Amino acid sequence: MTQQDASHPGQDHPLPEDTMTDLVSDGPVQAHGPLARLAYALGGIGLLGATAADTLAVAGRHTGIHLLGSIELVQAMVVILASSAMLIVTIVHGHASVHMLTERLRGVTAARLARFAALLSALVFLVFAAGSAWIGAELWNGHEQTELLHIPLRWLRLLWTVFALLIAWRFLRFAFGADRPEQA
Amino acid sequence: MMAPEMIGLCGILILLAMLAAGVPIGNSLALVGLGGLAVMISPEAALIKAGVVSFEVIMKYELGVLPLFLLMAHLCFAAGASRDFFDVAAKFVGHRRGGLALASIGGCAGFGSISGSSLATVATISSVALPEMRKAGYHPGFASGALAAGGTLGSLIPPSGALIVFGIIAEQSIGKLFAAAVVPGISQAIFYMIAILILCAFVPSLGPATARVPWGERLRSLRKVIDIFALVMFVIGGLMIGWFTPTEAASVGVTAAFVLLIARRRFSRAAVVDALQSTLRTTGMIYVVIIGALLFATFVSVTGITDALSSLVSDLDASPLTAIIVMALLLLLLGSFLDGVALMLLTTPIFLPIAEQLGYSPIWFGIFLVRTMEIGFVHPPLGLNIYVIQGIAKDLSLGTIFRGVIPFLVADFIHLGFLIGFPALTLWLPSVVGG
Repeated sequence: MTQQDASHPGQDHPLPEDTMTDLVSDGPVQAHGPLARLAYALGGIGLLGATAADTLAVAGRHTGIHLLGSIELVQAMVVILASSAMLIVTIVHGHASVHMLTERLRGVTAARLARFAALLSALVFLVFAAGSAWIGAELWNGHEQTELLHIPLRWLRLLWTVFALLIAWRFLRFAFGADRPEQA
Repeated sequence: MMAPEMIGLCGILILLAMLAAGVPIGNSLALVGLGGLAVMISPEAALIKAGVVSFEVIMKYELGVLPLFLLMAHLCFAAGASRDFFDVAAKFVGHRRGGLALASIGGCAGFGSISGSSLATVATISSVALPEMRKAGYHPGFASGALAAGGTLGSLIPPSGALIVFGIIAEQSIGKLFAAAVVPGISQAIFYMIAILILCAFVPSLGPATARVPWGERLRSLRKVIDIFALVMFVIGGLMIGWFTPTEAASVGVTAAFVLLIARRRFSRAAVVDALQSTLRTTGMIYVVIIGALLFATFVSVTGITDALSSLVSDLDASPLTAIIVMALLLLLLGSFLDGVALMLLTTPIFLPIAEQLGYSPIWFGIFLVRTMEIGFVHPPLGLNIYVIQGIAKDLSLGTIFRGVIPFLVADFIHLGFLIGFPALTLWLPSVVGG
């Protein structure tokens, strides 16, 4: 079962938080801190940018005006929106997890287990950041870029590395008991 | 040194332990995948794989389809599309025995074509249809059972989030998967309707008829859904006939949903911001899970577990049909404690190569997997849809709802049997359309 309040998953009317995936997050926790605002703003730009690029490409193709490079633009937008989205879901504690056992544990034990889970999660994102940084460093002077629009991939890789570090930091804050969603 | 298959088995056991301990699904999959690769190849290889896979996933154009379809759904919700499908269907068939239950199946199918999710569908349609059915004197178990089962249509009817995730993990065409889901989705709804008609024919008190609505009013009510229906037909139809790729279809869908929002006079900054924020929260959750699943799949393929299982199936000399039935039983068993998408991510890397070796198409397997996963939404002990309904109607006991679902579960098993027995039901449409 993928939510915190497993005994009554419908209580908070999962819609619209769980559309498309049936993975249920902890609910629409609002985060108002500067990091969250930045992530929402970047993610929103990514979503609207990807929509605009592909819609214009389709409209262009069907009216005989071919707009080249829309796929590359969408790719860049998706990097921005996906990185931001993963940070947001971490800030709002919205990752999908199985609560069949933890919901049956005593409060203290469940909290300890949650902190342990956050520690392991931080480790995962630290590995992502380290792996991306390694590859980024290897390819930095290669000036990797897209074919048509020459969008530099090294900056996108760097962006992801920074976001992976931020996500790891958020998990670590939670693991060591310093995290509250509204502090984001 | 332990045999690779044993390392794989240990990895799966550690994964189950981590999931039980509440470690997020995506992170558990990634940790086991990376740990396994570190043990089997080298820590450096695991580190590089982490960097490569994580960036490749977030750079993947095809995966952009998911957040964009999500945004389309949220904009449609903001446009007030949630209860209209049920209302319209109720006006057309509500006066028949079990008519409101039939309407709830129609409402679920219609809403599922926007939401792509079982839980969202059951939560939305139940909050509208359940009070109406109870007011009309429907048996509570029957009414809630129909809704719980109908809600599962959201997972299969395109654009389905589960199929998009499967398409990414299994590297299959999302357009073909959507096309393949059309006939199974429609036939599933028909099976539920037949179950309702049979039940109400034998026990009329389960779903009494309500007052007949004049034809003028019925036709006028169509105006409430015609624009959303046109949007869905345009997006999914355009995708199937090759006007646009899945990601383009989703982008065009978002643009059309914006137009809908304006046309319905619901456009506001708050509505758009809310839709964007909700989309981003769900998107983040999915991306982590997909990165984790791909790392886990790499580890599983390195261990050779799937080859060992395939050899086992060959050695047993079991027919492909028997092997698929065993897989379905295993999926149903695992579905008792793992939810749908987690089940899919865990089993696809193991079962898909076996199914392919047995001669089954990966497109067919995707539909089979999602259909089996759907049954997990209504069968005990997990049955998430049941809990969603109980959250809406707290006076109904879980036992009442589970009992109400039983006839629909029978319909589910017969339908699954049809899909297994007649793969053409799934594979015909993708063979004749583009995408």
